[in-house]
Amino acid sequence: MPGRHPRRSVLAAMAAVPLTGALGACSEGADTPSRGTTRAGKATRITFWSALRGSQEVVDAFNRTHDRIQVDFQQIPSGGQGGYAKLSNAARAGNAPDVATIEYPQVPGFAIDGVALDITDLVDASLRRKLLPQAFDLTTFQGRTYSVPLDVEPMVMHYRTDLFERYRLDVPRTWEEFADLAAAVRRKARDRRLVLFPTDGATQFAAYSWQAGAQWFDIHDGAWNVSLADAPTRRVAGYWQDLIDRDDIFVNAVESRQSDAQIGNGLVLTRLSGAWDAGAQMNARPGQRNQWRIAPLPQWDPARPAVGTHGGSTFAVTKDSRHPEAAMEFIAWQVSHPDALRARLSSGTSSQYPAASDLVAVGRDAFDRSYYGGQDIYALFRQEAEKIRDGWVWGPRMTATGKVMQDSFARAGAGRGTLIDSVRAAEDGTMPDLKALGLSTSRHST
Amino acid sequence: MTTTTEQPVRAPAPHTAAPADRARRTARRRRLAACGVLMTPFFLLLTAVFLIPVGTATYLSFFSDDQPGLGFGPERTVFVGLRSYAAVLTDPTFLGGLGTVALYCLIYIPLMVTGALVLALLLDSGVVRLRAWAQLGLFLPHAVPGIIAALIWLYLYTPGISPVIDLFARADITIDFLGVHTVLPSIVNIALWSNLGYNMVVFYAALQAVPREVIEAAVVDGAGPVRTALRVKTPLVRASIVMVAMFTLIWALQLFTEPMLLSQSSPMINSRFSPSMYIYDAAFTRNNYSLAAAASVVLLLFTIALSYGVTRFTSRNAAAEETR
Repeated sequence: MPGRHPRRSVLAAMAAVPLTGALGACSEGADTPSRGTTRAGKATRITFWSALRGSQEVVDAFNRTHDRIQVDFQQIPSGGQGGYAKLSNAARAGNAPDVATIEYPQVPGFAIDGVALDITDLVDASLRRKLLPQAFDLTTFQGRTYSVPLDVEPMVMHYRTDLFERYRLDVPRTWEEFADLAAAVRRKARDRRLVLFPTDGATQFAAYSWQAGAQWFDIHDGAWNVSLADAPTRRVAGYWQDLIDRDDIFVNAVESRQSDAQIGNGLVLTRLSGAWDAGAQMNARPGQRNQWRIAPLPQWDPARPAVGTHGGSTFAVTKDSRHPEAAMEFIAWQVSHPDALRARLSSGTSSQYPAASDLVAVGRDAFDRSYYGGQDIYALFRQEAEKIRDGWVWGPRMTATGKVMQDSFARAGAGRGTLIDSVRAAEDGTMPDLKALGLSTSRHST
Repeated sequence: MTTTTEQPVRAPAPHTAAPADRARRTARRRRLAACGVLMTPFFLLLTAVFLIPVGTATYLSFFSDDQPGLGFGPERTVFVGLRSYAAVLTDPTFLGGLGTVALYCLIYIPLMVTGALVLALLLDSGVVRLRAWAQLGLFLPHAVPGIIAALIWLYLYTPGISPVIDLFARADITIDFLGVHTVLPSIVNIALWSNLGYNMVVFYAALQAVPREVIEAAVVDGAGPVRTALRVKTPLVRASIVMVAMFTLIWALQLFTEPMLLSQSSPMINSRFSPSMYIYDAAFTRNNYSLAAAASVVLLLFTIALSYGVTRFTSRNAAAEETR
């Protein structure tokens, strides 16, 4: 499209120095290096960008078994590290890949920007049946689907079973028990804490709120209804604020050396995160073998259990794809074929919980249980995935909303402001953005 | 070039124009040509790096790729009037950024101007030995690119790797350069380190131009060195002070590099810390180009208004002083 490129470079110049990889990335164009090429000739070639580990192995396996379609894969940085900026800029320049990887919170944003194609008519009924409906709901807006879920990650509680035994602690079933436990841990071991409240964890906080029944974003009457500080969220914020105020938990960034040390030195007894984190932990700290177990996330009301998700990726066909059908075929194979999951797992251990229920058995067989003392964690994940609360909707600019929230969390962690102030700040910082995008909005927070 | 233009003129010349007149005309033409040659690069650059970007930003701020309602579906570019401006001006994060930069200016500009002036007066008074070396040492940091300077200071500010913090820790002083209250002073410090020497050279050059007889007269009248510096020299370099203050102001309003780099180490610097960072964030993480463009135009107008205010204020003061 003429006129697009100069606009981008002019803005780039205006926004001063290209500091991050985000900008450097946009100079790379349509000629993606074709590494997984085995066959040439008449095959339809499609391009695929992903930051997910094991993608190269998946693409190689696909190319080995398919003649008609060949995939050129390019490993890109993860979303926050510039991957999303790269995708946006490529779409602006008109050379986005056929298939892109997008995490759940960013799906509405890319759909609104027209980067993710409406693929409702490309997703056939059999694929739809194979995938967990709660996962599909997160990528579907007003009956139109914009991407296909790969994995869905119910939030669970990873805990140090050895330390729980040493201090004679019971695994908490409710948040009330969890709070009592936090106080008990601080009493029994002065330098240890039950858990970390991550100041860079807007997605964790979203999962807590989601579980409690919050509805940060909602679509009805043709408008985006925003209510970040609704009653369930206020309850969650108040709960964690109390724990922080009593010094019963750690408050710092989770993506930090400090947090690494807390986990590595056994200072923190539980981690609340998605199912995928079981494999990540295994790879990061092989020395803690047999010290961790996994339990369901504590509940507000055990009679009506619910969880939110934390993490998980989807695949979208972009507007620049010249072969949407071929792209869709590749996506369908990637998310539902056992060979795809085996190939992905061959690159290292992963504990992702596939959105395709048939693949759960494959993941479970491939997973080395000894790290978790033989615990069948996939059985637990399956049981927890059933509890994912319906109706959650991510917002149109989730990265930015989360950033504003985290900026404020960091200040709250340093004693300036509270968690609920942070949530309100995130809402205040999001509304102008949505308005400038020309979206119809309404606010329901009190 | 000159020979080719003179050649045809000379052929029919002898009867028509007097030689003196002709020479004058050629000289004028040459002067005009020289003017053109010398000015063209300036206007080319002005157009390329200022007028076109400003024009594009203004255009972008009034248009947007829209799909009304929920935003899903095909988009088309529509005129949106002042919508993006309304969004920027009601965005608490943008206004917060403006506030941060205003506070930064309040700390930074007085420190910079007085610091540079005092150093220049010291050098000029001849108190300092090894003047050339002192000048070089003070000026050298300005030769370090801003991003490298920020990296160096990032290293000195980051707990765990900073020798400075280590040193303080040994004396049992805990110091956090990137805390809630210290982060802005830390940024001011980087900016001072980088630019103090440069502005000092500007002042020093102005002081060199002060007529020696004026200073001699002051000394003869019994003024000491401090009095000479404050009452004679400083008023005489007033124009330079205004210029330095203005440039510093414009530079400070565009605060970007230092906080952008420090933000990697300090959660106290958020992604919309200053207006420039807000613009960067709006364009490249929020993918909201209209908003970024509107914020840029607002920042530009804000800068122009402040610079104009500074000029007006100082020239009126100068006029008032002269009539006194």
